[in-house]
Amino acid sequence: MPSQLALPHLLIPYVSSPPQSSLTVLSSVLGATGNWLVLRFLYAALGTSAASNGEPMVRGHEAGRKSRVVLVSFLQGWEFWRLEAKRLGLDLARLTETQQFAFVDGLSELFSSPTAPAQPSPTLYQYPEAGTAPRTTLPIRSQRSPLAPGPAGLRQPIPVSTTSDGSPHKSAREAGPVKRLHLPVDGVAALDLFEREITAVINRLKSSPGGDGNESEVLLVVDQPDLLLAATGPSRCIGATEIGEWIMGLQQAATATVATVSADSPLIHNASVYAHQAATPLETEHAAFAVELAHRADMVMQLRNLETGAARDVSGVLRVSKGGAWGRRESAGVEESWEEKEVLYFVQRDGGVIVFGRGE
Amino acid sequence: MAPSNLSHRQTHNLLLISKLLSLRDTASPLTLLLDSLEQPATPLVKEYIRRARLSKIHVTLVAFETLKPFDGVDVFVSARRKTPADIVKEVSAAYTPGSSDNLNRRRLILIDSINPLLRSTHLDKSFDLSTFLSSFIVPGGTPTSKVDSSVVVTFHQDVPGRCAQSPYVPSPLTILTYLATTVIKLHSFSHILTQKAARDRSLVPPVFGIEEEKDGVLLGRLDKPVGKDTVEGVVLEMEYRRKSGRGVLEWYLLPPASRYPATHVREIVTLLDDHPLYRPPEEHNARGEEEEPESTFELRLTERQRREREGVVLPYFDAQQGDGPGEGGRILYDMGEEDDFDEEEDEI
Amino acid sequence: MSFRKRNIGLSTGTDRTSISNSPSQPQRTTQAPPPTPGIRPSPDDGRATISTGSPSLDNLMAGHGGLPLGKILLVEENGTTDFAGALLRYYAAEGVVQDQKVHVIGMPEQWGRTLPGLIGPAEAANEMPDRRKSERMKIAWRYERLGEFGAGVAGARVPAASAGDQIPSSTDGSLETQPAFCHAFDLTKRLIHPSIGNITYMPIAPSREPLLVSIQRKLQVVIASSPPNTVHRIVIPSFLNPTVYPPEVSQPENVLPFLHSLRGLMSLPTSRITAMITLPLSLFPRTSGLVRWMEILSDGVIELCPFPHSSDALSTSGAATAHEEPPQGMLKMHRLPVLHERGGGGDHNIGQDWAFTLSRRKFEIKPFSLPPAEGDTEAQDKARSDKMPKMADLEF
Repeated sequence: MPSQLALPHLLIPYVSSPPQSSLTVLSSVLGATGNWLVLRFLYAALGTSAASNGEPMVRGHEAGRKSRVVLVSFLQGWEFWRLEAKRLGLDLARLTETQQFAFVDGLSELFSSPTAPAQPSPTLYQYPEAGTAPRTTLPIRSQRSPLAPGPAGLRQPIPVSTTSDGSPHKSAREAGPVKRLHLPVDGVAALDLFEREITAVINRLKSSPGGDGNESEVLLVVDQPDLLLAATGPSRCIGATEIGEWIMGLQQAATATVATVSADSPLIHNASVYAHQAATPLETEHAAFAVELAHRADMVMQLRNLETGAARDVSGVLRVSKGGAWGRRESAGVEESWEEKEVLYFVQRDGGVIVFGRGE
Repeated sequence: MAPSNLSHRQTHNLLLISKLLSLRDTASPLTLLLDSLEQPATPLVKEYIRRARLSKIHVTLVAFETLKPFDGVDVFVSARRKTPADIVKEVSAAYTPGSSDNLNRRRLILIDSINPLLRSTHLDKSFDLSTFLSSFIVPGGTPTSKVDSSVVVTFHQDVPGRCAQSPYVPSPLTILTYLATTVIKLHSFSHILTQKAARDRSLVPPVFGIEEEKDGVLLGRLDKPVGKDTVEGVVLEMEYRRKSGRGVLEWYLLPPASRYPATHVREIVTLLDDHPLYRPPEEHNARGEEEEPESTFELRLTERQRREREGVVLPYFDAQQGDGPGEGGRILYDMGEEDDFDEEEDEI
Repeated sequence: MSFRKRNIGLSTGTDRTSISNSPSQPQRTTQAPPPTPGIRPSPDDGRATISTGSPSLDNLMAGHGGLPLGKILLVEENGTTDFAGALLRYYAAEGVVQDQKVHVIGMPEQWGRTLPGLIGPAEAANEMPDRRKSERMKIAWRYERLGEFGAGVAGARVPAASAGDQIPSSTDGSLETQPAFCHAFDLTKRLIHPSIGNITYMPIAPSREPLLVSIQRKLQVVIASSPPNTVHRIVIPSFLNPTVYPPEVSQPENVLPFLHSLRGLMSLPTSRITAMITLPLSLFPRTSGLVRWMEILSDGVIELCPFPHSSDALSTSGAATAHEEPPQGMLKMHRLPVLHERGGGGDHNIGQDWAFTLSRRKFEIKPFSLPPAEGDTEAQDKARSDKMPKMADLEF
């Protein structure tokens, strides 16, 4: 039964082990979001060992080669990813403990300082020499909190049900196996800060012991970095080029990168060169960022609504196309043999996904 | 078009594209590649690199969006977070022509995408696109060793430009197309064929990708359009400005790199008009349709037969004389030698 | 392939019970049973939900029977009518009645005095079952199904999950044993409730910081200082309306960080917050990138398209039966909480056309279907009378 598989067969060639230093762009629209596909990427990278309940994992590589994942999310919190991954049989909290997974939270405190607004910006100056010595313990914000000493990455993840026992807000907020991003200042300095923080997390996963002595491969998933662009914009000195360069910096640290962007019509087509109307800076920058990202991508996976309107047993359309950078790397050869395709998908209530061709 | 004219055009324009792509005689110091997501410039850039390697041209890649260098690139300059001045400095430092081997060395500078530079919010007001580009071609430093540099710049057409700082300054794309000696616009061959098929039927040619303006569609390209065989290849719409001022416009087809070995020396680019899929060999068909349908007996007339037939005065000519009813209306016919006249049957 | 295998046809009560008992609901065990009134677990996956104050809107929430905690609902409205404002008042009034903390942003205290008066629990006020019994013989089968929908999720689920026929009795039982989840209000009356003074108002006032930053900070402080189990409702009426908000607020670098940090605040595992925002679409059209980003940042997006006043003929003919109110506009669901963040699709309400009716007592959302136009029926009759004999002539 295809519906029982966490990873539908049709998806396997696209989501499992993206090639070295490649960029995969995942575009979504309001009514067809891409979180389920991000989860499939996580599952393809992490799930080989976790879900080996007799299912043959059809992958191009032997099951021993696992990669690690860093997930940077700007629109969804840790709870969401943890619960949704659990539906697939991935225990992200445990994987975090074993240094196979790391979550970087770009939602909770990106624009708001957490609890104590008294000390606004020491974070920025906490990194006098950037890029030196990847410490195993990260200098993160929560270290300043007296309630939560100790490195966040190693701390035990808290159970979810602290809601009912009325634990104090502060401790719950500071705990959790996550690293939080906070945008303290305008402009490129903030992006540099993020880049250093995320790179440090990637390097930590890379160098952490994992069986053989080699450096592990780290898949970086950046969920909706376009939010950063939309919410800052050129007036805060962050434009499409700057975000694009920021992603490039992250790409250099990671083995392979997946980035999701919104491709809603107002965000792409209002500013399109083919449209003859004035566009707002938000639309222009977003379109430039999304299109440039697609130009740099090896693979572009586009999610959209069904043209014929909503249906009960179809969630949307997935089109996989070759991005602008496809074929740039000569080394890419046989193992990268996937073909462009357009399929329908249906996300079931239990979290399973069915992928099928039109008319099947 | 007369056949002689066409063949002249073929040889001439094929020579031209061969010269341009192989960077001979510095025919085009600044080439602008206009690409889009529907047809990225990667195959053409690779073709440039391939030819440059064949003729031992030094290749520099200025990377605004590429992470790892292409194969065959001698120097890789990452332009991420660098000022234009730094980039120019780094590029000119990357190549010092060895004076010993060859005085007249050539070099190719590829810029993988100029868009990030043009969109950057950190450009100071003094940045000038034309001086930036010309500083690659004419390095200010050492005039002793002459280096022929050719710059090939890729511009993504589908990336919207920044809101103009001043409404009176021409847009960067306008400046680029004005400066460039050669402008090559890339199209996907299968799209060109689809559009041509629509035009041939007087339909509105379809658009693809972002132009479709469909929600959620960035890329319309699929390897195999439904119900069609794979049509590979890149169509190049070239505009070349000669020194004389005359422009040359031509459409070419670059076959996919898998069709020929990397060391292939002969010209592989063809005119689009020569491709059988784009322009089916209709000359023969057209001529064929003029001919009579074949049959077992001859219906055609020889020249002489035709002349004689025209010489026949038809009966109504006499009938018009008005000699009265029943008069006139005779067939006047001069007997020829081949007429087998029978006195009894053929009475006049 | 079998798409319909699991949990899809959610229209009957029996299905629903089987779903909530099915083992594929991991959160069920982690969520404690609702300790506070006004919260109940979703029948779909057991997450805590609150009522929006209008039962038929609760029913639209992708099978959750209410707005799940931590979710933002954006209600957009075309034109200059204020149907969205009525929804918002129901939402706020329900919060007041349930002793939850209501935060009103951008409006003075007068706004709180316009909250609709309480009638009683929604189930008691909902005479649907009785009416259905009496009309059973009269209603065409297809409308009867719609009637069931109205009683649907909200009615059937209050005490565990009971079959449709037991609704009246079990509702009575639950009134004594269990506090109501959703109440009925009367828009013509004014809400008088002891906890109405607990509403916090955050009017637009000039401050040193950017406006939305200071509002955000105030919210954060108020929520952090309240007892941990408090349920908060954030009400933002007519967001970005230039008569309330200064123009620079509608810059994306002000709006989007505000919504994003609101989302961040609500996504914390300890917080029990929901928010409802109304947005005038005439000022900020959906085709603009800014609004699209606001929608992306929200969990649920609902668009109201009121019918123009002149189309009386259309609206009366759109009514299902003679004594039902004519619909006053169309309702479009662009995004639903939880459902769409998981990938979307599969909800039995999706793909329907919805019409809404605002009456004195309720905001009702029903499936919308255009009846055959009256001119057409005449034409059909005529055709029948004219053509049938001709057909017969031809045949013989």
